[in-house]
Order: sequence, then C-alpha cells, then structure tokens
Amino acid sequence: MKRDISARFTRSLRNNLVLVGIIALIVVTAIIEPKFISSANLTNVMRQLWPLPFIALGMTFVIIGGFIDLSVVGMISLSGVVAASLINPLGQVGAILSGILLGGMMGYLNGFVLTTVGAMIQAEVLFITFGMSSIYTAIALLLTNAETLRIARSTKPYNIFTALGSGTVGMIPVVLIVFLVILVIMHLFYKKTLAGRSISLMGGNKEAAFLTGYNVKRSMRLVYTISGIMSGMGAVSLVSRVTTATATSGIGYETNAILCVVVGGTSLKGGKGSVIRTMLGVLLVVLLGNCMNLLGLSTFMQTVMRGAVLVIAIWLDNRREL
Amino acid sequence: MNIKIASQRVWGTISKQGAVLAILVLMIMMLFFKTNFYTAYNWLDMLRSAAILEIVAFGVTVAVICGGCDLSVGGTLSFGGIAAILLINIGFPIWLAIIIAVLGGAFVGFINGFLVVHQKTEPFIITLGMGMLLKGVCQVLTDAHPLPSKVPAFMEISNSKFFASIPSLVVYMVILFAAFHYLMRYTSFGRNCYAIGGNYEVAEYSGIKVIPTKWAAFIISGATAALAGVLLASRMNTGSSVYGDNTGMLVNCGVVIGGTSFAGGVGGIRESFIGLFVIQILINCMSMLGLDSYYQKLFEGILIVTIIGLDCFFRMRKRESV
Repeated sequence: MKRDISARFTRSLRNNLVLVGIIALIVVTAIIEPKFISSANLTNVMRQLWPLPFIALGMTFVIIGGFIDLSVVGMISLSGVVAASLINPLGQVGAILSGILLGGMMGYLNGFVLTTVGAMIQAEVLFITFGMSSIYTAIALLLTNAETLRIARSTKPYNIFTALGSGTVGMIPVVLIVFLVILVIMHLFYKKTLAGRSISLMGGNKEAAFLTGYNVKRSMRLVYTISGIMSGMGAVSLVSRVTTATATSGIGYETNAILCVVVGGTSLKGGKGSVIRTMLGVLLVVLLGNCMNLLGLSTFMQTVMRGAVLVIAIWLDNRREL
Repeated sequence: MNIKIASQRVWGTISKQGAVLAILVLMIMMLFFKTNFYTAYNWLDMLRSAAILEIVAFGVTVAVICGGCDLSVGGTLSFGGIAAILLINIGFPIWLAIIIAVLGGAFVGFINGFLVVHQKTEPFIITLGMGMLLKGVCQVLTDAHPLPSKVPAFMEISNSKFFASIPSLVVYMVILFAAFHYLMRYTSFGRNCYAIGGNYEVAEYSGIKVIPTKWAAFIISGATAALAGVLLASRMNTGSSVYGDNTGMLVNCGVVIGGTSFAGGVGGIRESFIGLFVIQILINCMSMLGLDSYYQKLFEGILIVTIIGLDCFFRMRKRESV
C-alpha cells in the first residue's frame, strides 16, 4: 500500500515536472535575488514575453497533430511587416485584421502544400516548412527592402497598437487579457469539438485515423491554419510591443516555441498534450530567462541554457514513453 | 498508350534525378544570357565556394543513410573553427589544434549518437536543439565577435593553390569525396549503414551491430562538420559563431535534394554532392544575373519546397500503388 502511494507520487511528479520546475525556480531565485518577486519585475515580464505565448499556442496544435512548423519565422516577419505597412492605407483595425488574415492564409498554404505532396513523416514536414519560411522571409525582405518600418511614422492613429504594446488594465497588460480570451477559446475548441479531438486522434495514429474515416488532410490543413493565425496575432503583438517591424523579426521564435511546447510536456510524437501545459512551459521558459537576466548571465549563456533545456526535455519526454 | 508509358518514364526519371534535372534547367537557362557562367574560372570558383558545405554534407549523408539526420552540423561547424583558432592563438601547433577541434566535433557527434541511437529519440528536433546549444557555446567562447587568428600559416591551409590554379579547398573536397565514397560503397561499415537505414530490425536480426554502427555514423558526421569548420575558419582567417547559422538546414536539404532519403537506406555520397551543387549553381546564377540576395533566398525556398515536395509526392504515389 505504501509502495503504491509512493509509486503514484513519483508518477504524478514525473508527469508534472514542469510545475515542479516552476516552483523550484521561483523559490530558488526569490532567495538569491529578492527583486525577482517584486511587482515591478513581474509586470516587466508580463510585458516582455510577447509574442511567444501566441506562437507556442499555435505550435501546440501542430505538435499534438504529430507535425512541426518551422515556417513561423517567415509568417511572423511577413505578417508583422504587412500589418505595420497597412496602417496608413487601411487604418489600424484593417491593418491588424489583415496581418492576422495573412497569417491564416500563409498557414493554410503550408497545410495545402504539405497535403498536396503527401508529406507525412516529421522530416519532410520539417524541411518543407523551412522552405516555406525562406519564401515568406524573402517576400518580407522584398517588400521592405530590409528597412525597419516604424509605426510611429504612420499618419493615421495607431492607438490600438499602443494599447496592445504597453497599455494596462490595473496591473494586467491589455495583450494578456486578449490572449487569455483566445486561450480559453482554443482550449474549449481542443477539448470539446469534434475537429479539436480529431487533431489528437491524427497525432496519435495517422493510419488509424485515416482508416476510421477521418479526413486527415483536413485536420492537417486545420492545424497549420491555426498556427498561421496565431503567428499573425503574435506578429501584431510583437509589432505593438517594439513599435517597429522588420523582415527578420521572427528569427528564433520557432525553436523557442518548440521549447515551450516540449518543456510543457506535450509529446513530440503527437497525440498527447494540452494547451494549458504549453502555457506552463511558456511560464517556465520566460521565468528562466528572467531569472538568468537578474542573476547577470550573458545572453549567450542563455542560448546555451535554452539549447540544453530543449535537448534534456526531449530526452526526458522520450524516456517517459519507453 | 505509348504516351502513357512515355510519360510514366519521364515522371520516373524526374523523380529519381530531380537534382540533375534542376542543374540541366539552370545550365540551359544560362545559355540565353551573356555572362561568364561558362568559364573554367567560374566553375572552379563554384567548386571552391561549395567545398565547405560539400564536406559537411559528406558526413551528414552517412548519418542520413543510417536513417538519422544531423541538424547540429551548423553549430559544430562554427565550434570547430573557433576551437582551432583559440588553440592556435594560445600557442598550440596547427596540426594539434586541428586534431583537437575535429575530436571536439566527434564528441558532439558522440552525444548526438547517444541521444538518438542509444536513447532512441527522434533525431530532427534534438539535433536542432543541439545546434542551438552549440551556437550558444560559440557565442560564449568568442563573446559573439569574429575571432581572428594570429598565426599567418593557418590561413595557408585553405587559401593556397595546387598546380598554380586549383584551389586547395577543391583538392581537399575531392580527397574527402573519394574517401567517403569508398567508405560507403566498398567497406562493410558502409554497407551496414545502408542495411540499417533500409530496415533497422532486419539489420539487427541479421547480426549487424546496429547501435555501434549508427552511433559511429553520428560521430563521423560531427567530426566532418568540425573539419569543415576548421577549413572555413582558415579560409576566412577568422572564427565566428554566425558561420553555421544556415548550414544545418541547408546541408540536410541539399542531401535530400540529391536523392538521399530521410527514410534511410538509399542515396550516396555522389548524390549528396550533386544535391549541394544544385544550390551552389543556383546561387551563382542569381549573382551572375545580378539579382540581389533577397531573390536568392526566395529561389532557395522555392527550390527546397519543390524538390522535397516532389520527393514526397513520388513516394506517396509509390505507397499508394503498392
């Protein structure tokens, strides 16, 4: 009986490693550097973490579906550039909507290309989305001629961007409220709708899902479209925060998003995972970055740490399945 | 009827020799422009420019034929060059520094092999994370600045010429090409690699020591990438953490473009050589025609999506016809 309890405890500990990690990180850092839990620091963190949660949210669906999406780099860059440059001709609402819409279209295009050529294994998907990313980045470079677009230069009002970038309601940033609404919608979509559940089915076993009569290709297009829309939203939040858009602003978010998803405990093999877990992963990654900043580690050392965490997380995830 | 058979044959040829077809298209296209494309000087120059990536590709091919994949070569490439220059600058003899750098690359390959072969993780994301980690290590080592070598003799390695006209890098590439071709074609190690990539379980039951062989493939891949990094550092006379930024994806794409499949068991060093050379010819054509680098990125993306997409498409057709 006692052994049973301890076994159950170890199992639940293993399954919730990310929570343990977050708590340990908070406790240890708070002891070494009390500034960590000051409200000024936490507000700062909440303001600086965008667009990562959006990208990680979109990436979660792709990974649960058993695929991977490296094209977020190009999608963020191109969506951001388009949203920033359309403020003048379309007004700010039009600019934001067209950025998000463009993201969705690019995501759909990814899904369309992948299903048309019948890419099924992770390797093929990885390289095709990388190629698509190059294409999007190149288009963004051609549109901007590699110059930085500043939203402050636009002649039309851009107060929604400012609100998203630095506005707060009480202590809470506006963009966080927007994100939480989207998070709840996506969580319900994943848990309660047929389309959401079939993503999980597809990730668990594509052959079985196909033989059961599910339209695997449609699910595949769906997950990539979701990833594209989220990249579009992420791009808007990024542009709002830094008030500029460049054709290379998306670089690095693909590995960071994958890192958050994997650290959260969503399996790269597909089928298992949840939106909430990814958010815990984002929290851990962001807090880790913040704590390394406070402890005075260089950004280069942080890259090393991120890479190490990614490798170890995948390794542990794999061991859990053995 | 005849048309159907003929079209099938044409499709078959394209599916097998997509890279050769791409080279032919580019070469025919260049006939219509008045450029220096068809000069011995240009072709030697293309070979020299391609040499570094070709050498990395030879090692990666071994891992891919085994059914693996190595995206960490970019990080290993930067690391090899930086390690060699650091050691030479503190007074090590050049040959010893190169050997230590290559051993460092082999050690990276050893860790990759441990994670992928021994622990059976999916190679794609884990080597991507490894590349990120190594990039961080390189940044820490150099403080993200280019690191010049203080010993002029080191520069001679890659910048000298044989017979007054042939660049030494081309000679190294040819030697390594011959060595790897021999290794994969005519030794039991090479044949075992094909067997493992073709069907892991069958190879295991036939008595091939699958784990040491595949592990060795990753070590070879890491060591070769570090060697290429040393040659690149010698060519530039500096080591830098940004050299390998695109190498991992580009080389693996080139290997697949050549016809070595990620499913494992098919392909070869010759095919990889052609695959990487397609990319080089494309870049050369672009600059000959005076297109700027944004278009190069665009066409690179289109090339990757098209050729890997065609590869998937024909494999899907084959699967469905069986």
